[in-house]
Amino acid sequence: MKNMNLVRGLFLTIISLMFGITSMTYSIGKFGKAGPGMFPLLVSGMLLVIGVATIIGAYYKPPVPISYNFKNIAVVLLGLCGFAVISQFLNMIFGIFFLVFCSAFAAKSFTVVRNIKISVCLVAVAFGFKYLLGLNLPLI
Amino acid sequence: MDLIHNLAFGFEHALTWQNLMYCAIGCVVGTLVGLLPGLGPLSTISLLLPLTYSIPTDGSIIMLAGIYYGAQYGDSVSAITMKIPHASSIVACIDGYQMTLNGKTGLALFTAGISSFIGGTVAILVLATLAPTLGEVALLFGPADYCALMLLGFVCVSFVTTGSMLNGLAMTLIGVLLGLVGTDVNSGVPRFTMDFSFLADGVGLISVALGCFGIAEIVKNLDGGGEQTPFNGEIKLMPTWPEFKRIIPSALRGSVIGSVLGLLPGGGPVIAQFAAYAVDKRFSKYKDEMGQGAIEGVAGQAAADEAAARTSFIPLMSIGIPENAVMALMMAAFIVKGVQPGPNMIANHPDLFWGLVASMWVGNCFLVILNVPLVRYWLSVFKIPFSVLFPAILFFCCIGTFSINNNLDDVYITATFGFIGYMFMRLGLEAAPLMLGFILGPMLEEYFRRQLLISRGDFTSFLTRPISGSLLALIGLFIVWQLVSFLRQVKRTPQVQ
Repeated sequence: MKNMNLVRGLFLTIISLMFGITSMTYSIGKFGKAGPGMFPLLVSGMLLVIGVATIIGAYYKPPVPISYNFKNIAVVLLGLCGFAVISQFLNMIFGIFFLVFCSAFAAKSFTVVRNIKISVCLVAVAFGFKYLLGLNLPLI
Repeated sequence: MDLIHNLAFGFEHALTWQNLMYCAIGCVVGTLVGLLPGLGPLSTISLLLPLTYSIPTDGSIIMLAGIYYGAQYGDSVSAITMKIPHASSIVACIDGYQMTLNGKTGLALFTAGISSFIGGTVAILVLATLAPTLGEVALLFGPADYCALMLLGFVCVSFVTTGSMLNGLAMTLIGVLLGLVGTDVNSGVPRFTMDFSFLADGVGLISVALGCFGIAEIVKNLDGGGEQTPFNGEIKLMPTWPEFKRIIPSALRGSVIGSVLGLLPGGGPVIAQFAAYAVDKRFSKYKDEMGQGAIEGVAGQAAADEAAARTSFIPLMSIGIPENAVMALMMAAFIVKGVQPGPNMIANHPDLFWGLVASMWVGNCFLVILNVPLVRYWLSVFKIPFSVLFPAILFFCCIGTFSINNNLDDVYITATFGFIGYMFMRLGLEAAPLMLGFILGPMLEEYFRRQLLISRGDFTSFLTRPISGSLLALIGLFIVWQLVSFLRQVKRTPQVQ
């Protein structure tokens, strides 16, 4: 599946169906007394129309290839989620070290000394935020 | 004559050494905190509010106003240089960031600063002349009118997006749907929460903005090799005379649009920047360059945003109604200091009212004076290699997200939106319209349902009210115009081939 227009149409259609089908599980009500499902159903209906139109349009347009690199987005997301998990169960200092070291795998070069320096600087900034701006960071 | 007399009275208060100092401190601290990704004006003011407790009333309000303007400017700096916006600088990400990619960061920042100054000056004149009466305009708007206004904002999206109009509308609708995640305020039913308790209050604006813009942009840079920063090392700050001539009309257009839309509760200031951009895209002499780093794309929206931020004080100070969260916080600061904003504020506290109006202009001057030399330092950040810079940006994104509710769950939401934003980017879908839909979606639903309730399900009630009817007619005209231009383009294409 390398046609960006087609994938885009499918993506929009899937999102509209996800929201549309879920909104049908809520009360729709009447126009005079709309339930929680009515407005999202209307909006996802409009999105569905656009999604289907995009899919149909994709057959009439020359295919456009999609470029992506899932390694980088995966590494960055792992860094962010790891930061949250470690900050929650250990403390944010370890979280910062994990974030820096993990996300560095997405960069072209990986240097342990450089990552330690960045982490130490960011920990110092975090302490500044905590004690100067009063942010409630779980640093210790 | 009254106006001159009142302004002179205001400047007399604003230009005391003490108040000048408070204004300068507010601007500098606000800019510094606002520069951090995720910390927009609202979080900056709430973080720095305690600083003002020990300061006299007029000084503290002036300092808070300075913090507000500083944070807004700082916010636009992070949007232009790193494509990490807050609500007040979403549109700056489009052409502002493109200017950075074209090696014109300094010029973009200068344009944002000078256009904000122009927008602020126009809005202050509006504020000073019309504040006592203009606040009542907001009261004329009923639910149907707000719905029509928001729909007009959505139609503006078709002008804002660089790609197809359908893509822009699709992203707006996705934004609306994402804005509906959380507990329905009318029925109390949790919607689209997937039984996650942390989604009961909905998805945070910061998480969506940082994910879809900041993180997605970082990963895109990494995909492209990622060792170079967009900044090319040259600092060209001052525009040439032809460039300056392009800034002025755009900034003036933005100022007028922002001054009017800033009066309206809710999304006024957000719609203002989109509307100003849409008008520039349609009427500017250089409309073909919009989206590719046009100077007008920065000037118009910056002026509109600043003007709207100023005139949004009008409903607060003239009728005592805060029209957005920042104004609610300012109202709290007024009340803490023993001042009740409302119709009697001008009569009871003329020194405070006119002092604040004058200090807005003084704050604008400070921002221009301080930021012209400081731009060099903001840009020096980009001399740092990207491989060192991007972990730091990710860290600031995490801190910005976490500090809103002191909740680490928000970091997961940001990461999720980072992935979604990356998908959007790779599929050629722009995130700016999504933000507009996200901000206005919940309000649109509320007003839509309220109007239908009032009219007992009668859709024609949207057309019969003068304001909503006119706005809907305007939307109809826009759509017909777009269709006609599209059909003309389709007709022309085969002839060219």
